Amino acid sequence: MNATRGSSPRLYTAALLLGAVVPSVARADEAADPAKTPPATATPPATATPPPRAADAASTPTGRFEVGSYGRVHIASDLRGGTGRKANVVAHGTRIDEDDYAELELRREDTFRGEVKSRVVATLALFGPFFHFTGKVPDQLAVRNLYAQGTYKGVSVWAGARMYRGDDIYLLNWWPLDNQNTIGGGAFGTLTDSGERDGPPRYETVLAVHVGQQRLDNPFQFQKTPVVAPSNGFGTVDVVKLDRPRMVETLKLTQHIRDGRGGFKAALYGEAHQLAAGVYRDTLTNQDRGLPDDQGFLFGSQLTYYTGERDTYASLWLRHARGLAAYDPLAVPQTFANDRTTSGTTETTIAFATNFERESFGVLGAAYLRFFRDGSGSVLSPQKYDEGTAVVRPQLYFHEHFGLAAEASYQARRLGVLDKAADAPVTASVIRGAVIPYFSLTGKGSFKRPQIYAIYALASRDAGARSLYAAEDVFSTRKLEHYAGLGAEWWFNSSSYP
Amino acid sequence: MQTLRAPLAALALAAALAAPGAGCVSVPVEGKQPLLATHVKDWRDEVIYQVLVDRFANGDVNNDYRVRPGYLARYQGGDWKGMREHLSYFKDLGVTTLWISPVVKNVETDADVDSYHGYWAQDLTEVNPHFGDLAELRALVAAAHTQGLKVVLDIVTNHMGQVFFYDMNLNGNPDIYIGGTGKTSKVERVSEFDPDWDPRGVQAATSLGEAGRAPIYFIQSPEINRVPPKPGILGTALGYHGFGRILNYDDEKQRLLGDFPGGLKDVATEVPEVRATLIDAYARWVESVDFDGFRIDTVKHVEYDFWKVFSTGLRQRLAAQNKKNFLLFGEAFDGNDQLLGSYTQKGMLDSVFYFSQHFQVFRDVFQNAKLAGKQQAGTDKIQALWESRKTNWSAEPQDLGVGVPPAKLPVNFIDNHDVARFLFEAVGDKDALRNALSYLMTVEGIPCIYYGTEQDFAGGNDPANREVLWDTGFSTRGDTFRHIAKLARLRAKHAALRRGDTTVRYATPHVGAEDDAGILAFERAGSDAGASYALVVLNTNAKKASTTADGAKPMAVGAKPGTVLVDVLDPASGPATVTVDPQGAVRVTVQPQRAVILVPQDQAK
Repeated sequence: MNATRGSSPRLYTAALLLGAVVPSVARADEAADPAKTPPATATPPATATPPPRAADAASTPTGRFEVGSYGRVHIASDLRGGTGRKANVVAHGTRIDEDDYAELELRREDTFRGEVKSRVVATLALFGPFFHFTGKVPDQLAVRNLYAQGTYKGVSVWAGARMYRGDDIYLLNWWPLDNQNTIGGGAFGTLTDSGERDGPPRYETVLAVHVGQQRLDNPFQFQKTPVVAPSNGFGTVDVVKLDRPRMVETLKLTQHIRDGRGGFKAALYGEAHQLAAGVYRDTLTNQDRGLPDDQGFLFGSQLTYYTGERDTYASLWLRHARGLAAYDPLAVPQTFANDRTTSGTTETTIAFATNFERESFGVLGAAYLRFFRDGSGSVLSPQKYDEGTAVVRPQLYFHEHFGLAAEASYQARRLGVLDKAADAPVTASVIRGAVIPYFSLTGKGSFKRPQIYAIYALASRDAGARSLYAAEDVFSTRKLEHYAGLGAEWWFNSSSYP
Repeated sequence: MQTLRAPLAALALAAALAAPGAGCVSVPVEGKQPLLATHVKDWRDEVIYQVLVDRFANGDVNNDYRVRPGYLARYQGGDWKGMREHLSYFKDLGVTTLWISPVVKNVETDADVDSYHGYWAQDLTEVNPHFGDLAELRALVAAAHTQGLKVVLDIVTNHMGQVFFYDMNLNGNPDIYIGGTGKTSKVERVSEFDPDWDPRGVQAATSLGEAGRAPIYFIQSPEINRVPPKPGILGTALGYHGFGRILNYDDEKQRLLGDFPGGLKDVATEVPEVRATLIDAYARWVESVDFDGFRIDTVKHVEYDFWKVFSTGLRQRLAAQNKKNFLLFGEAFDGNDQLLGSYTQKGMLDSVFYFSQHFQVFRDVFQNAKLAGKQQAGTDKIQALWESRKTNWSAEPQDLGVGVPPAKLPVNFIDNHDVARFLFEAVGDKDALRNALSYLMTVEGIPCIYYGTEQDFAGGNDPANREVLWDTGFSTRGDTFRHIAKLARLRAKHAALRRGDTTVRYATPHVGAEDDAGILAFERAGSDAGASYALVVLNTNAKKASTTADGAKPMAVGAKPGTVLVDVLDPASGPATVTVDPQGAVRVTVQPQRAVILVPQDQAK
C-alpha cells in the first residue's frame, strides 16, 4: 500500500472504532517524510521503515506503545431493495467491491543501549459483515501480526506470525509480487549503500529473506480423526492423521536509486514452496490414501519510478510461478495433475500501477494480465484461464478536504469452460463505472485517509459474466447491476501499511 | 531512466507473454463441434466393446467427486479422458467400436447407491461431469475416429432418474412408511418414491379411504442433483405416466406404463411433445459429438409406435447432415426371441441385443459345459434359435438405416453389465469362456464384448460385475486378451467371418459320450463376402474330443471337393489341414471346448 498512507492519520479514528480513548502516540514525523518512505513503493519492512539513526542513539532505554489501524466499512443498496453486490469476475477486480475489513494494531517499540531496537507487534483483524449489519456475534477475527523484531547494526531479524508484503496496487487491493502470511521468521538489512549519512543513501541494496510455514485447517494439509482410545479406555480420542505444513522460503533483493526526492526502486524476488507427503483418511470410505509431496517456485521482479512529489509514481511487476507456488498459500489448490500434485501448474502475471497528482487533479491507474494453467491435463478446465483488469480513477479536488473521483474499469476472464453456443471458451467481461464524492479528513491526495465517501457504481455484465452464475441466481440474468452506498476507509500508523 | 521505461515495459510484456502457459485459453479442434461424417461402411465389420466409463480408466482426478474406491455401488473415478488415453488398448484388443455409458447428467445418488452407470438421467442436455466436460467427450470421439474406432452412445428413452415422488398421503413430503403388524395385519412398506403399480395411476389415500390420483411433486435436492428434469416437458408431470412400479413384467400395460424398479420414472413416450423432445435431445448429442450409433436401453418398456417415430425421425435428421449408417440397436432384457425381433420390424431398430442367444446358447450350451447339476444343451438348440431368427427378426433393412437386415445383424454378446459375468456363472471355466468367445466372434452379426472379459473378470451380479479395469494395469498379455485379439484379426482378415451368410453344417442334440457330442459346425460364405469362405467347427463338450460325424457319414460342406482347408485359429485344437473329399464332405475332430476356423489354403496366408 502506498507509503504515505500512514502519514497523517490520528488516533481518534481508532478510538472511535474501539469505543475508547487511546493516547495519541503516533509518530507522524517518521512516516511523513517522502524521502524515507517513497510514495507508492511500500517496501518490505526493511526498506519501508529504515532504522532510526542518530535521534534514537540515546544510551538509556526508551520505549513507547503505538496503536495503528487499517479499515474499511460500507453499506450499499442495489436500488431494488437489496444490498449492493459484487460484480467482479476476475481474481483482482476493482476495489470498490471489497468486503468490510479492519485491522487494529498494538505495537511496542523500544531501544536498548542505543543500539538494539525492538518491535513487538500484535494486529487483530476483523472480517465483515460486522455486528451492526448481521446482529451476530462474534464477528470473524484473525490475528494477522504477532511477532517480535530486533535490529542490531542495521540488520533486523524477526520471528512470529506476520503479514510480510511488498507493494500493492491500491485500486485492485492486491499485492502482485509478494504477499506472505506465514508463521516464521526472517532477516533484512542493507547489503551495500553509497554511504551518505545525512539522509537516505543515493544507492542502496537491501536483502530480505524469510522462511515461514502454514498448515491450513483443511484436509489438504491437516486432518484429525477419531480412533479407539488407548489403554483400553472408553470412547475415542482424536489423532492427527495428516499434518503437512507448507514451507515457504522467500528472498528479495531491492535496489534503490534516489535522486533528491524521487528515484527508482527495482526488486528481484523469489519464492520456494514445499509440501511433504502425507496420509489422508477418506471420510467417504474410511480408507487411508497417500498424498504425494509437492513443491513449486516463483520468481518475479518490480520496477518503480517515483517523483517524490505528492505520491506520483509508476510501478511494473512481472511474476511467474510453477507448481505449488502458483497457489496462494492461504488457498487450497482446486485441481491437480493425475498424480495429485500441482505439477504442471503455471501462473504468469504482468501488472502495472500508477498515481499522478498535480494541483487539483489526480489520477490513479492500474492494470494486469494473468495467465493461469492448472496441471490437470484435461482438454479444458475452469482452472485454466486468462484474465485481466484495467482501471482508471481520475479525481478532482474541489477543496483541501473534498473531492470527486470517477472510476472506469474493464475486466475480463476467459476460462477453460466450453461455451456451447459459441464453441469457444467462456469469456466473461464486465465494464464498470463509479462516481465517488468524498470527504478527505487529512487533505487532498489519492492516498490521504481517513476518507468518508459516497458511491454510485454501475456494472455492465456480458453473457459470459452472467453464465458464471447458477440459473436460479438473478446474476445469471441481470445485464446491468448497480448500487449506491456510503463508506469510510482509513489507515494510520500501521506497520503493515507503512 | 525515463527513456528506458517504454522499452522496459515492452520487454516485460514480451517476457510475460512468452512464458510457459501464457498463451490464450482456447478450445482445441478436437474439443469443438465436429463436422458430422459417416464413419462406418458396414456394421458387420465391427466389433463392439462395451465400456462402463466409470470403471475403465481414470484420466482426470479432478472429476472424482463422491468417488469411493473399492465400493462398486459408488463412483470409482473413470472418465472419458481415461478412455482417450488408452485407445491403444482397444486397438490391441482388436475391437473397432466403443459403446460408452450414458453421457447425460444424472441424479447423483438414490437409496445409497450412486449413478456411476449413467442410467438415472436428470438433464438430457448436459454431460455427466463425473466423466468430463463436453470438450473432453468430443476429444474422445474425435481421437477414436482418428484411429479408426467408432463410438456408440448408450441412451435411455423409457425413464428418467428418481426425480419426483407421489404424494400419496397429501402431506407434501416424500415419505417412506410401514403399515401393519405382521400378525394381525400384513406388513406393508410404502415408499412415495417408488410405490407399487396401480392400474388407475398411483392413488392418494387418507385414513378415511382413497383420495384420487396422488399428485406428482418434483424434488429439490440440489446437493444430489435431484432436481426437476430437463428439457422441456420432462420437467412437468405431463411427461410421465405415474402408474407406479412394475410388479408383473408379463402384464403388457405394466411393462409399458410402469416405473422401472428403483423409482425410475416412466416417461409418457406416447405424448407427441415428449417424443419430439426425446428425438431432439438425442439428435443433438450426435450433432454435437459425432457418435456413430445408439444403444437404447429398456426398449421393451416403450410402445412400438414410439420406436417407429423415434427411429425414423432420428435417421432423417441425421441423414440430412451426412450422418448415415447410424446404428440403432436396443436392449430388451428378455429371452423371447419373437419379442426381440418385434423391435426390428419395419421402421424400427436396426438390431437388438441377442438376449435369447445369451440364455439359450451362452448359458445353456457353453456355460453349462462342466457345471455339476446343470444340463448342457445340445447345439441343435443353437441351430433352432438361428432358424427362428429368420422369421422373428425383420429380413429387410430399415429405410435410411444401416443397410443390413436386422436378421443378419444381431448384436451378439456373452454377458454385459446387467447379468453376472460368464466366468462367475461358469465358476471360472476359462475353457468355456474361450470357446464362447470363438463362437461370439465367428457367428453372424456384430460381436459385443463386455469390458473386462479380456481380463478374465468374474464378477457376480450387479454391481459385482462392474469391476475397475485399471487395477489390471491394462495388461495385453493374458490368454483371453490374446485369444480375443487373434479372433479379431481373423475376423478382420476373412470377410466370410464378417459378411458371409451362415449355413449350419452340423448340430447335434448329443451332449454325452457320442462321437459328435457338443459339435457345432457352420459355414460363413457368400453374400457380401466375395470368394471368402470359412468353416467354423466348435466342440462345446468339455469331456472329450468330438467329431463332425455321428457314425460313418462325414459332414457335407459347401467347399468344392479337393479343397484343402487350413485351421487359422488354433491348429493344436484339431487337424491343421482338412481336405474336402470327393463327396464334398469332411470329418473334423476338435478337442474339448475348442474350436477350429478352417479356410481355404489360398486364403489362409
